Parts: sequence; structure tokens; C-alpha cells
Amino acid sequence: MDEYAIGVLTNVGLFSFVALSAWLVLVAGELSFGQQAFFGVGAYAAGICTAMLGWPLPLAVLAAMALGAAAAALVGLPTLRLRGLYFAMATLAAAEMLRILFELFHWQIAVGAEKVGPDGTQGFRGIRWMFERGFEPLDFLALVWMLLAGMVVILVLIENSRLGVTIRALGHDPDLARSAGIDVDRLKLGVVAAGGALAALGGALFAHHNTYIEPRNFDIMLGVHSLAYGLIGGLGTVFGPLLGVMLDIGVLEAIRPLQEYRMIAFGGLVAVLLVFRPRGLLDEQAVHWLKSKL
Amino acid sequence: MRFFLCFLAFFAAPVLAQKIQADLDCKHAGKDFIYDCVIRLYRGGEPLAGAQVSVGADMPSMPMAHNIKPVKARPGKKPGEYEARLDLEMHGEWAVKLRISGPVRDQVVKNVRFD
Repeated sequence: MDEYAIGVLTNVGLFSFVALSAWLVLVAGELSFGQQAFFGVGAYAAGICTAMLGWPLPLAVLAAMALGAAAAALVGLPTLRLRGLYFAMATLAAAEMLRILFELFHWQIAVGAEKVGPDGTQGFRGIRWMFERGFEPLDFLALVWMLLAGMVVILVLIENSRLGVTIRALGHDPDLARSAGIDVDRLKLGVVAAGGALAALGGALFAHHNTYIEPRNFDIMLGVHSLAYGLIGGLGTVFGPLLGVMLDIGVLEAIRPLQEYRMIAFGGLVAVLLVFRPRGLLDEQAVHWLKSKL
Repeated sequence: MRFFLCFLAFFAAPVLAQKIQADLDCKHAGKDFIYDCVIRLYRGGEPLAGAQVSVGADMPSMPMAHNIKPVKARPGKKPGEYEARLDLEMHGEWAVKLRISGPVRDQVVKNVRFD
């Protein structure tokens, strides 16, 4: 496999984590424009753990996920009182606050002959854990997809469990769910924290793939994309956001000969798709139909 | 076997640390969004010749979505110099990724504004 194909597939895998996190919150009935912030928390946390503290990557990834979940829960505590568009705006504001905090975050230590660590708007260079241990791009691709497959399996198991049904019920009608005895506030907070951990996992891998991160990596565009993947791919199944990512990256790469016009062409395609399939390609009806055929 | 070795590497000490410094100088090539870049690589202050350099680019504000197909740089006029032509999608700031292999392996990211 050539370097370009490996790069595209790695990007698909990395995007999928943040897309899955946005989808999870969507299924629970809330529209979050802030998942990119937890992707950023994961990236910075894992980068600090490996490049500055010398931790092994698995430990750094676990720490990043825990911090991502904690950050999401912290944002969720005050914002989950809001509904619909107000919640979406609050998550966007919280994400921008976190991004500005990354811009103000300066903490560098000497590692060998050079200084390593977050340097505000100048970013965080030298997250070289993979290179220092001889990982090839293909090895990293395998790592990303193995972790993604693991997360998808966990989400499929949850989706087919009582918990999954409860989360869907919460997403469809929180008042009805509450009247059925579901602890709506606690469940929503749990879903938001799980989404934060998922996004942070993606961010941790992104930082180590890129070797360099900066606050701008985690701005609103990433949030819009991650939300769009669920809406394009479909809300009916965990495979919806994955399909959304594959369509986005796949179509963008396929129409590369259109050069600077390709974003316009892609935007048009998304608009047409959402007119005809407002809950995405794999919506609840499509999933029900597919299950009946299998 | 390869993946088993990778698994062991998760807990190994960093033995392959070989940091490379890079300078990047890009000039407009006369066509929209096309730039000719000269890359200078150094290792321990000395020019690094004989490396294979793959040059890619990503927009910092839209990581992974706006990127270009990596191109292989060819050796330049002086030792440690490499040349590559970048075909970007739009103006603005790009994070140019230099993936270096051959005598040493590394990745250096340089932020460059293309106007």
C-alpha cells in the first residue's frame, strides 16, 4: 500500500472516533458542536504524557480518555439543563473556551537538547513517540483501525442491549423516558462523558500520528464535520457515522481532479443528500429494513 | 510477527531518536496554488544528504479534511537540499509535513503561509 493510501485510511480512522462521539450524543437527543474540544483535550493530554512525562502510549491514551470524559462531564453538568439549539450553542461556546485555553497554555520542559511541550498558539511539537520506537505508517494504521474496531464492537453491544434501547428512548422523548422511570439527567451525563472519552481517544492518536498539534486543529470546522458525518451516514446504527466519514473522505479524494472546485461539489452533494435523507443514509427505517432482510 | 514486535515496542525505551532540523522556503511557481519549495535538512548542525523526503500538507484549521497528496522531493543543488513542487487547494496557512526516511527516520512539520 502506498503512503498516500495509508494516509487517507488513517485519516478515515481518526475522524471516525470524533464522528462516533458526536453520533453518540445525537442518539441521546442532543446536538453537540463541541466534540472537537475533547478531541483536543485527548491530543494535548496524550502528547504531554508521552513527550514530556515519558509515559508509554497505552497509559497515555487511557489518561487522555479519562481526562476527555471528565472534561465532557464538566461541560455537560451545566449545559445539559438546556435543550436543542441552546445546548448546541452552549457546547460550541464551551469548545471555543477550551480552544482559547489551549492558546494560552504554555508549559515546556527540556527533553534532550530541545524544549518540548505546549507553546500557546505556536502549538505543541515533538510528539515523536511513534518515530522513536520505529513504528511505520502501516503499523500506526493497523493500531488506529484495531482500536476503532474495538470501540465499534463495544458500541454495537451497547446498541443491542437494554442500555442502548434506553438511550434511544431518551433521544426520542426525554419526558416520556423520565415518566418511565429513567434517570434522564444521569444517563445523559454518562453518554456525554462516554462521547468525550471516545473523542479524546481519537485526539490522542491524532497527536501521535501528526507529531504536532496546535489549537487551530480543534476549532469549529472539526466539530461541524464530526456532526455532519452522523447526519450524512445515518443515525440508525453505529455504522452510520463511519459511512459518513468514508463518504466524505472518499468523495473528496475521488473528486480531487476538480481541484479547488471539489469543496463546492462536495457541499452540493451533502445538501442534496440531507434534503432527501434528513436522518442520513442509514436512518432507523433503513436499518430496520436491512435487519428484516438479513 | 511484525505486529508482535510493534506490541513490544509500546513498552520499549526510545532507541531510534534522531531529531532532524528543517528549513523550508517556498516560492510561487507562476500558476494558481502551485509552489516550488526548497527544503534544507540538518542533523546535529550538519546538512543531511541522501535522505528520502516525502512532502505533504494539511490545513491546521481543518486537519485531515484539506490535505494534499504527498510528493517525493528530489535532491537539490547543495548537500542537504531537496526540492518539491506543491499543488495546494487554496491560499492560507498550511502545515507542511516532511516525512524523512533513509539514513534516518523522522517527521518535521513546518507552518507556512501561502498567499
